[in-house]
Amino acid sequence: MANQRVVVIGGGPAGLRAATTVAELGRPVVLVEQRGFLGGTPIAERYASMTPYLEDPEAALGAMASHLASLPDVEILLSSEVRSCSGDAPAFSLEVEVAGQSRSVEAGAIVLATGFQHFDPGRETQMYGYYEYPDVVALQDLESMLKDGNVVRPSNGEPPGRICFIQCVGSRDRQIGNEYCSKVCCGVASKEAIEVRQALPDSEVFIFYIDMRMYGYWESQIYWPAQEKHHVQYVKGIVSEVLPRDGRLLVRGEDTTMGRPMEIPMDLVVLSVGMEPSPGTRAMAKLLGVAQNKYGFVEAARPPLDTVGTNRPGIFAAGAALGPADLEDCASTGGLAGARAVASLATAAVTSG
Amino acid sequence: MPVAGRKQAPTAIEKETATVTSTLSGREWQLPGMWNRMFEPRVLSTYTATGFAALAALPGGESLEYCYGCGKCVPVCPVDVVGEYGPRKLHRKVQTGVDLFSADDLWLCTTCANCLRVCPKQVNLVEVMPAAREVAVGAGHVPRELQDVFEKSFRYGNALGENPRRRHAWTRGAGVPVRVLPNDPSPVDVLFYVEDYWSFHPRGQEAAQAFVRLLTLAGVDFAILGPEEKTLGDSQRLAGERGLFEVLMEDVVATLAKYDFARIVTPDPHGLNALRKEYPKRGHTYETLHYTQLLAPLVDRLPLTVPLDAKVTFHDPCYLGRHNGEYEAPRTLLRAIPGLELVEMGRCRENGYCCGGGGGGMWLDSFTGNHTSERLSERRVREAAATGADILAVCCPYEVSRFSDAAKSTGNEHLQVLDIAELLDRATGGATGTSEQPSRAAGGGAAGSPGPASSIERANEDGA
Repeated sequence: MANQRVVVIGGGPAGLRAATTVAELGRPVVLVEQRGFLGGTPIAERYASMTPYLEDPEAALGAMASHLASLPDVEILLSSEVRSCSGDAPAFSLEVEVAGQSRSVEAGAIVLATGFQHFDPGRETQMYGYYEYPDVVALQDLESMLKDGNVVRPSNGEPPGRICFIQCVGSRDRQIGNEYCSKVCCGVASKEAIEVRQALPDSEVFIFYIDMRMYGYWESQIYWPAQEKHHVQYVKGIVSEVLPRDGRLLVRGEDTTMGRPMEIPMDLVVLSVGMEPSPGTRAMAKLLGVAQNKYGFVEAARPPLDTVGTNRPGIFAAGAALGPADLEDCASTGGLAGARAVASLATAAVTSG
Repeated sequence: MPVAGRKQAPTAIEKETATVTSTLSGREWQLPGMWNRMFEPRVLSTYTATGFAALAALPGGESLEYCYGCGKCVPVCPVDVVGEYGPRKLHRKVQTGVDLFSADDLWLCTTCANCLRVCPKQVNLVEVMPAAREVAVGAGHVPRELQDVFEKSFRYGNALGENPRRRHAWTRGAGVPVRVLPNDPSPVDVLFYVEDYWSFHPRGQEAAQAFVRLLTLAGVDFAILGPEEKTLGDSQRLAGERGLFEVLMEDVVATLAKYDFARIVTPDPHGLNALRKEYPKRGHTYETLHYTQLLAPLVDRLPLTVPLDAKVTFHDPCYLGRHNGEYEAPRTLLRAIPGLELVEMGRCRENGYCCGGGGGGMWLDSFTGNHTSERLSERRVREAAATGADILAVCCPYEVSRFSDAAKSTGNEHLQVLDIAELLDRATGGATGTSEQPSRAAGGGAAGSPGPASSIERANEDGA
């Protein structure tokens, strides 16, 4: 008889959705989260709001976590890590370290939802000076400032008059090794640009881009309002150099429309960093023996019509562990992975019974 | 070299002397400044987009900022093909701090609406341009040649600065009676609103004469306003003189109120545009047709018996086609002419290439010439000639003169430029000569057999 329990590794948006789905389908679920809290990167990195609908992440993800906790047969293990996994579907045996104590958990299926990390702009081949200049920040740094309602130049604490976003930092780059588009940064940068314009109405906000990639409704939900209502200035042509000049930052790039170099001063430069697999995603994929692509993300085994199945039966992946994903992708693959995990147990029960 | 979006000659920065070391002898030489000439850096370094806010404060001016740089306007903008101007570039220039209100770019757009047709963001230069130009007009930043036309239009009621009393002088050579309403104000079906170029330009007058002969043959009850007619002024409005347009509208509406007519027919697509789109905004609504729209359903009534063995290509006027949606009426008329072979240019109908005359371009020939490699009309004539056509048919009063000049300047003298009214007139065996030449019989028209010019003059005066 197959074990009916599902173990979900990772308590971010995808993991929460997966665990909730399993619990709502009436199966026991154990959620293993490395951090001491649920909600994942939006909480850990202090996002001001979620793209594109601008909900408060703490409220929205908090509600999701409380709902999950209220369901029967749900066990949430915080500050916990999976140390080993043996066996095959539908009888996995995991060893989980919970607050320093080792504990074994039997499971019929596993959902891997270990997410992403932001690209480290120090690895960028361009001269952006993230670690050299205090006023060069990344998307998540600005999220945090927006959350505190205090958008300032870190160098002097003054509100910035001119702010620019530089897109595709750490994405679409063979030299860096991340050839993929990170999918969310155009939308997130535009969303933050709107929030900056609302917080600092006198500020001028620019977005330098290679091409704006606004999938589906984001075009009219974020991009067009940013440009037409909030007067964010979109400039085609990426910036490839940031230099200090007279206490400000000189961003240097190409004026592609006119075909000439361009160098203009900014008070705050925001690097639109892309997504990379989190250390947890890399470690868990290795530990569970699921195939990873060349970038380290978990490889969906049978795309495009099966987006969550891995090369190992009974192990499913969800969210940004599968590659660059927005919150809607995470909720979609999370729910699907949870349902597929339960379905795999039902199938196993039929074949073994 | 463009600096801050404008084409400017590089400015030399010369040092008085320079020291150069010879690579052969190692000796140092003192050289005069001409040897160390430097140029201003071509790097764009100023950058503020406040121009958009200034535009957004004007009615219709906000959409330039909506541009997201897709570049779809670039290949379809008639000016971009021959110059540095283009809607996308304009957006970029304003973004980089160029003051549109004093920029030469402000006057290069012909409001032909081909960019608007393809623009995914509906950046509407047909509204942006008049709004921005109105500011420039208010500040007195108007090219001299255009200002002259504004003044003439205000003073004489026509863009050519002609004596308004001679507005119906062309009727003398028409060969048929033409009723002038102030002389005979009885009710009439069709008010023929002649507009400026058919009233005063010699080649326009020929078309006007041909048209009234056709009306007569078709048995249409028509009349003109004669000396009381004033230009509808739509191109003046688009060139930035909304105030003048409003003054003209008041006069025109007052004149029209005096007479009892069923509908207005005009050869001028710009006038048509004013009556269909601008007048109703002020509550003045008239049934208005372009002359091709009046004639097309009546074409069976015209005795088109004289074959015109020629290859003809047709130029869609921007303000008839893209602005007012009429592409078929002119073609219906051309196809009805026996022997005529209609060949289309690559750019036609919705994608017709502008002649350069719209939006004030008609009166900015020298100004535009300084910013373009060739005239739009020259470009268009070369396209027409490339079809192998013998005749370039038109139905906008601006075009006969523009394209005739362009045919000469591009070495395409063999290409005849004729209004559709003139082609139809030829096919009926009507007069084809100039206004000096008395008209030949225009067939058995309802108005009776026309006689020599002198008796026609009397006939026209008899109508008083």
